[in-house]
Amino acid sequence: MSTVEGDENESLGNASNSAVTNEETSSNTTRSGPLNDSEGGAKVVFLLKAAGGAPILKKKKWALPRSKTMGHIVEFLKKYMQLDSQQQQQLFLYVNQSFAPALDTTIGSVNDCFSSEGTLVLHYSLTQAWG
Amino acid sequence: MGQSIDDKEITRELWQSRLPICFILSDEDMSKVNRSELPEPLYLMLARHSYFPCIIEKIHRYYSTYFKENVNETTNNINLANLWLEFESIPLKWHYPIGVLYDLYASSVSSTSHLPWQITVHLSKFPEGEILRFPDKESIEAHYMSTIKEADALKHKGQIIGDMQKRDHKQLWNSLLQDKYDGFWNINNKLMNYTDNLQYFRYIPFRVYIVDKPFIQKLFSPYDIDQDKFMTLNDLLDFVLHHEAQCELLANEKKILNTNVDDYQVIIHGIQPPINTPIQWLSEHFSYPDNFLHICLIEKRT
Repeated sequence: MSTVEGDENESLGNASNSAVTNEETSSNTTRSGPLNDSEGGAKVVFLLKAAGGAPILKKKKWALPRSKTMGHIVEFLKKYMQLDSQQQQQLFLYVNQSFAPALDTTIGSVNDCFSSEGTLVLHYSLTQAWG
Repeated sequence: MGQSIDDKEITRELWQSRLPICFILSDEDMSKVNRSELPEPLYLMLARHSYFPCIIEKIHRYYSTYFKENVNETTNNINLANLWLEFESIPLKWHYPIGVLYDLYASSVSSTSHLPWQITVHLSKFPEGEILRFPDKESIEAHYMSTIKEADALKHKGQIIGDMQKRDHKQLWNSLLQDKYDGFWNINNKLMNYTDNLQYFRYIPFRVYIVDKPFIQKLFSPYDIDQDKFMTLNDLLDFVLHHEAQCELLANEKKILNTNVDDYQVIIHGIQPPINTPIQWLSEHFSYPDNFLHICLIEKRT
């Protein structure tokens, strides 16, 4: 992802995604929260975790503009992990360890709904780990 | 939300709603037909809540008879993978319910279209990058089940779908395919229950569609605890438009969307529900079989 930024040391407090404000916990929020505009670009920060025997990435934390799609992330991961043509057939991205959004879903809307305490976690897998 | 017999009748009426569609082969592909008679338009009455891939084999079979299979000449073969549908130059996404596509693209006041909905079938020049190829039946089912799980994650933290047997999941999809209202709602009723001592869903599964934009989805509770009242469709749209406009501002978009709800026609299942309808009620009765409210906003022309 050419627009990737953020290193391992960046504190999550600087993340610009927020389905919750600093005062509320995710269980009390009634709607997607105000956006933290200190980053100035409304990037979504997310963690990529391996599932279903997929290779583990050294770099786990990434950032993307809200309008990028899940399909964009899938295509990037296929190249980044240097999957062979057999493996490249299937790479699945899961949210909440339960569902795989359609590939044209924006990371912004996934973040607005499923980030928890300021972080969005996505699981990637070479098998249909959660159906 | 109180249930009345009339409310259940609404879900049955929505289940039975159909769209008359006229499929016409593209001029480009028409020129490759190697028979003396050209294909007539194909007319089908399709369920609004179904998906185009569910009838793709029917379309494929129909047009296959007009193209002679020639092993040495690949250009004349119909490759199902190259089939795509188009309306007024817009390639149609296969994973959106048919009714949503119609409401979004064909129902606007400025459109010159009328029923039957005229869709162009293309057998070549697949618009790579704009849409995904039509998948097999297993992929559509997987997409449908994924959407159901997402809806339940929003409504019930995934508790109800997680507790269901695999055969119940199968029954949802098969009932959808076989047009069995009772078979579907026997299982779907469980997904309309309340959990966690709430008298409503934790969050409403919804998507807002505006032409030329990716769909908008946000967290929204149907009940405001502070004001002690149920939120309406107007409340939801007001929140969604303002939140999204703020996102666009921060992303330095050139054109920010119109945040005035009154400037849009609000269409669900082809009709405009009263804007003060409680969103909890709409979620229970107006959701598509995937348990999402698919709301199309068409800007009114002044």
